[in-house]
Amino acid sequence: MSLQKPVMRGLLAKRLRFHLPIAFSLAIAAALAFKFGVTEPRKKAYAEFYKNYDNVKEFNAMREAGVFEGVRPSGE
Amino acid sequence: MAHPSQLGFQDAASPVMEELLHFHDHTLMIVFLISTLVLYIIMAMVTTKLTNKFILDSQEIEIIWTLLPALILILIALPSLRILYLMDEVNDPHLTVKALGHQWYWSYEYTDYNNFGFDSYMVPTQDLTPGQFRLLDVDHRMVIPTESPVRVLITADDVLHSWAVPSLGIKMDAVPGRLNQTAFIVSRPGIYYGQCSEICGANHSFMPVVVEAIPLKHFENWSTLMLENS
Repeated sequence: MSLQKPVMRGLLAKRLRFHLPIAFSLAIAAALAFKFGVTEPRKKAYAEFYKNYDNVKEFNAMREAGVFEGVRPSGE
Repeated sequence: MAHPSQLGFQDAASPVMEELLHFHDHTLMIVFLISTLVLYIIMAMVTTKLTNKFILDSQEIEIIWTLLPALILILIALPSLRILYLMDEVNDPHLTVKALGHQWYWSYEYTDYNNFGFDSYMVPTQDLTPGQFRLLDVDHRMVIPTESPVRVLITADDVLHSWAVPSLGIKMDAVPGRLNQTAFIVSRPGIYYGQCSEICGANHSFMPVVVEAIPLKHFENWSTLMLENS
């Protein structure tokens, strides 16, 4: 029984056909991971921070801590 | 201010800086996409002995690797131009402050209604009080009102300097003989630090910028006080 002739052509192309879809998928996965791991949480964090941010309360807390130069704590 | 081992931007304290943060995230995402693709392709190419010596051309791949980068560039350019135009919008400032760079300190002039000004020197390390930041704190801060558009006119007295406050997304060169303008709105009260960003001599690292944002009512009290003391 003679051996089957091995595939001798198109080996690199076959490798590329195998690896390129994986490459593109991994690249898109990396982008999506960054988008949903960093970008969206950051946008949400800023939205949450400012949603209930009380300018006056925060300012008064900083003022009483004595960090400002332009306005001293209310006791002084 | 930045904290030790910080890699990313400081928290944004102005709307423009928030937009810049989101744009940076968007662009960095694209960078990771391209880098992952290229790295994988490199790994795939160096881990094989297979070659094809007879490729001469390929219209298909040429089209792909022309159109794909063009599309990516458009995806970067559109938000970039949007922010660029956002930063240049006519903003009708409520206050104008002049910042002058000297060797090696900043001076600020408030000349809108009354005329007063002061110098802003870095607090030397040996004179720091507990709670002050080394190489960042100054004796007199630039005080401005929160949530009001502020215009800063920047120039220099001697050599090039640059007035920068990263958390507000501002950096503008101070050029002798030239008046550069920038504008910003501070979203929340606080103290925001920056450092001179153009080499200007021996003490270039020791002329920081400190912006203190307080509510308008307190800002008006402060400016009245400054006027009385000047």
